[in-house]
Amino acid sequence: MEQRLRNEAKALLEQGKVDWIIGFESGSLKFATTPLITKDKNDADRLVINPFMVNNLANFLTEVKGRVGIVAKGCDSRSIVSLMQDNKVAREDVVILGVPCRGIIDLSKVERLVGKERDELDDITREGDKVAIKVDGEKKEFLATEALFDNCLACEFPTPQEYDILLGEPSTSVVNKPAAQEKIEKLKEMTPEQRWEFWKNEFSRCIRCYACRNVCPACFCQRCFVEETEPQWVLPVPRWQDNLIFQIVRNIHVAGRCTDCGECERVCPVNIPLRSLTKEMYDLVDELFHYKAGMDKEAAPLLIAYEYAEAEDLFR
Amino acid sequence: MRQGTEWEPKLVGFLCKWCSYAGADLAGTSRKKYPANIRIIKVPCSGRVDPLFILKALRLGFDGVLVSGCHPGECHYQTGNYRARRRVAITKKFLEYVGIEPQRVQASWVSASEGGKFTEVVAEVTKGLKEIGPNQLFSQERQGDGTKAT
Ligand code: SF4
Ligand code: SF4
Ligand code: FES
Repeated sequence: MEQRLRNEAKALLEQGKVDWIIGFESGSLKFATTPLITKDKNDADRLVINPFMVNNLANFLTEVKGRVGIVAKGCDSRSIVSLMQDNKVAREDVVILGVPCRGIIDLSKVERLVGKERDELDDITREGDKVAIKVDGEKKEFLATEALFDNCLACEFPTPQEYDILLGEPSTSVVNKPAAQEKIEKLKEMTPEQRWEFWKNEFSRCIRCYACRNVCPACFCQRCFVEETEPQWVLPVPRWQDNLIFQIVRNIHVAGRCTDCGECERVCPVNIPLRSLTKEMYDLVDELFHYKAGMDKEAAPLLIAYEYAEAEDLFR
Repeated sequence: MRQGTEWEPKLVGFLCKWCSYAGADLAGTSRKKYPANIRIIKVPCSGRVDPLFILKALRLGFDGVLVSGCHPGECHYQTGNYRARRRVAITKKFLEYVGIEPQRVQASWVSASEGGKFTEVVAEVTKGLKEIGPNQLFSQERQGDGTKAT
């Protein structure tokens, strides 16, 4: 799959079919990958496909000019389609190099499973529904469902639905819905007061770095409401009240665009469980309006589309 | 709250100028009495209401928010109220999940001829707010962060 990607990427650049290739290369930290954004066909040999490619590269699509060949997992491809629905990118300007995804490995989970830092591990490989970890010359096996990111355990469409080139056979995801929903279900069992207290505590740690917003392909406003000064909607200083309002409104603004890619939670430097907000919104829009983000490039976006009668029980 | 006076909820109403705002006007001119708890803000269409307005009002300490527009099919701009409906629906449900009482976010369809309905809506919403009490969501002090109550 990796060699095929390199060949395809090189050919696309050589034939002038794209100006840019956006993909993944090996990162400087062990196992990690990092985005590769290039115009140079010789860089194509640095492209990798592995179970550590966490980033949602759709976020970079709007940052380069010209035609782009982009590597996309299931969730990423939906983010790309969502951008098309919002007229942020044109279909003909993008060549989607689809990767049938089998789930991304959460290195923190792996560290917890084996009780060692990632630097001490020799190898991590995916074998069927298992994840094999080589450490001190020994091979340990775990269920993939124990080692993948929560959002991957809830993934409905691991194979891109929209692509130009599919780099492999369609894959099925190793879902574990209860595990993926665990944190959210716990919250739902609480009283509203307890939930408010929970989020209040979480957001008292927020430093308002805006990493969650900046990494999100669905957050594409030129000027974010948090930066407006007349009127000033939220205070720029990180107080829990304004931090929480920022995140609530961000969630509302990306409703119907969020694909549960999990990036915002991953980048948060103070480990706020942001997915417990985004995934709930993801489920809410499905429940209320039978809408899933990024499934159909011709469809009107969630907050533009409507039915004559819907959600009427919420209106007086 | 002054001692001796009963607490009265403060409600902000975002009313579409083509329908609900005119409905409120009609209630007034036909001498119908609606609770003085509502502070009305005229908007060009219910579709103008960004959920941010709702959060901002709650942050400022309002006890509840009412968004009111033209009935489905009657929006002056054809689809503004449909968009408002989706936004209000997800806002209400999402806020409930985060821990905000659903009574605080209310929505209604009130036409220019429905002065009576407007009166009823405001009365019901006010009653609901009295039941859940003052909005202290954002005003609780957190130790050490120097946050003043709003
Ligand atoms: S809100 Fe978070 S999970 Fe949703 S698309 Fe944005 S970065 Fe991904
Ligand atoms: S990434 Fe985390 S700390 Fe940074 S603004 Fe978002 S929630 Fe706050
Ligand atoms: S004009 Fe009244 S809701 Fe659009």
